[in-house]
Amino acid sequence: MAALILEISTRGLHRYQPLESEVTTIGRALDNDIILSDPTVAPHHLKIIRYGDDSVEIVNLAEVNPTRINKQKQASLVTGELPVNLEIGRVQARLLSRDYAVPPTRQLAGGNSPGHLFGHSYWTVILVLACLVIGGLEFYLNAYNSFKWSDLLKYVLRETVLTIGLFVIGLSILERLLVNRWEIRQMVTSISLVYLLYYFLAYLFEALDYLFSAGWPSTQFRFGWYLTLLPCAIALYLIHISHLKKSKSFVLAILIASPIAVPSIMQSSELRALLDDFSSSAKYQNSLSSLNLHLQERVSIETFIEQAQQLEAGEYAD
Amino acid sequence: MLSRVLVALILLAGVSASPVAALDSKKIFQLNEERVFQIRVLNRETGKKSSIGSGFIVGDGSQMATNYHVIGQVILEPDVFYISYVGKNGREGELKLIGLDVAHDLALLRADEPIGEAIRMSPLPPRGAPIFAMGNPLDLGLSIAVGTNGGLLNQTDDSRILFSGSLNPGMSGGPTFNDQGEAIGINVATARNDISFIVPSRFLSDLIERATGGFSDSGDLKLEVARQVLAYETSYIEQLLANDWPDLDLRQFRLPGAISPTVRCWDNSAKLSAIARYKRYQIRCTNQNHVYLDEDNKFVGRLVYEYYWLESDELNAIQFYNLYQNLNKDQIESKVDRDIVSNFSCETWFIDVSGQEMKSNLCRREYVEYQGMSDVLFTAALTGHKNRGFFITLTMTGVDYASTLPLIQRFLEHSEWLP
Repeated sequence: MAALILEISTRGLHRYQPLESEVTTIGRALDNDIILSDPTVAPHHLKIIRYGDDSVEIVNLAEVNPTRINKQKQASLVTGELPVNLEIGRVQARLLSRDYAVPPTRQLAGGNSPGHLFGHSYWTVILVLACLVIGGLEFYLNAYNSFKWSDLLKYVLRETVLTIGLFVIGLSILERLLVNRWEIRQMVTSISLVYLLYYFLAYLFEALDYLFSAGWPSTQFRFGWYLTLLPCAIALYLIHISHLKKSKSFVLAILIASPIAVPSIMQSSELRALLDDFSSSAKYQNSLSSLNLHLQERVSIETFIEQAQQLEAGEYAD
Repeated sequence: MLSRVLVALILLAGVSASPVAALDSKKIFQLNEERVFQIRVLNRETGKKSSIGSGFIVGDGSQMATNYHVIGQVILEPDVFYISYVGKNGREGELKLIGLDVAHDLALLRADEPIGEAIRMSPLPPRGAPIFAMGNPLDLGLSIAVGTNGGLLNQTDDSRILFSGSLNPGMSGGPTFNDQGEAIGINVATARNDISFIVPSRFLSDLIERATGGFSDSGDLKLEVARQVLAYETSYIEQLLANDWPDLDLRQFRLPGAISPTVRCWDNSAKLSAIARYKRYQIRCTNQNHVYLDEDNKFVGRLVYEYYWLESDELNAIQFYNLYQNLNKDQIESKVDRDIVSNFSCETWFIDVSGQEMKSNLCRREYVEYQGMSDVLFTAALTGHKNRGFFITLTMTGVDYASTLPLIQRFLEHSEWLP
């Protein structure tokens, strides 16, 4: 008589119970062999009988929320084919044989390679320090009045530490709920990376605005960031760090990114212009750059006036 | 005998040459109380007042003068509103619009039948002479305000007289009399206590002369309004271009100063924090002769140009340009929506101005209801200097776009870099 395993899934977490006796009773009452405390489970919900020919019989005992065997309501099933899917109230379970093949082992992100960003905690420290430097640099480059270290410290604490800290706390709690794990170091590393990437790209696209004398690079970046890059970064985390399935990861990534992306996009003047189709403000290229790199040629006043005569009239909003 | 006759003739001549006895406010009021009316804009459906002002009988006795802004609502919605007058003892009737002088805020109306004797008009008395403004302040009944003539204001293109007396809402469109009881102008606006403005009567005389039989529909009216505003603004810009422009030096730029008597320039430098590591100088020049367009648009004809100079020996180039960019974002000050104007259309150029490169933007938007009228915004920011910044912003509202380009060109050509 081959040994059987009952896999019980709760919130993505699996519990495995070997079935060693000939008859195993399952239910909420305390005299069962396997006790399920879920309120949708009957006191005596089902019993599993093992036979000598390696077949197994599953017998429903519940009147309320009767057991669904292989997705069908049936009083009993005798079968030799495993696995058998069971719905016991709202508890999902599977009856497996001991030699049931498990999925391949997922490698830890970064493994134990110290050269990998997720492989050692010093990378986390370096990335966090880089974020603090970026935050401080941002303050310094916008400090038009006399510079004070205390102001810089306050700014970095408020803008960098608080931002990264809130994301780490929020997303770690979410991760704990999803996969029952705390991955604080990987979370800090990932959020620091995303933070740095955002600043790098924002400055890059702003420089492109000036280069092309146009606003589309920054606009494209803002939309691209919130609609593509941010959800992709979260999905990559869920796939490689949380080890969730790809499809599930992308759906979750969209859900997680939405509370950040939706308000940011809704507040953007570009989207308001798209939705409302009218703006009383002139959207002109006010960007200025100390590098002064631009593709547009310098023209004389006469040429400018000549070309300005061709400036199209404003379009009427609907 | 001959000597007695001569003495008598000299005395008579003296009497006839002496001024007519001046009237006081009581007499002027009594003489004109049946010739000055309350002008009402009424909703055809509810029959209730939407706005009020004053008016007085002119021309052939069936015509009435008032301000354009008193009846401006009818221009926008002639199917909803109509104009009526109410006089002493509740005498009332409907009025039809027969003439407009939008630039000077005048409207000429006609009743179906003669209303009374027209008020005689007269040129402006000497500065300091007493003048009397009649009208219906705050719907409280006819009254008269006494003040003095402050003379024609050249900053308003001679289109306003300064009245050192008190005008209140509801008196707009009423007559202002000299001490002979003749209308020297039309009440139009007030700034604050005892600083009020009158439209000279010569503009009303011109309007009466050229008045037509009326306007067929609202499209006709708006076309006429647009035509008048554009004609006025184009002529105004031509005047600006014909003037000699004084120089104004702002650090390393020599620029146009007040380019017309209608323009006033003020130092507008923001008070900087004591710990600021940069210096910022700002001069703002604006004209005073704004034109009332309608209830939605309020005023057009506004010309504003501002100069900003920014410098710092303490900020590095990136810090300086972050600050510089943050300041370079002027807009046209107006509250408008899609029913009034189009979106802006903008283009960018890098222009060579006196050997310096300036990143320039030119934007225009069009008025929905008034064909050919645009708002124009021009900005030009100096580039290529590590810690020196300068930009010009020039805005004009309610103008013909093409007519503004020679003005912008002259601005740029007049601007000179001082090494």
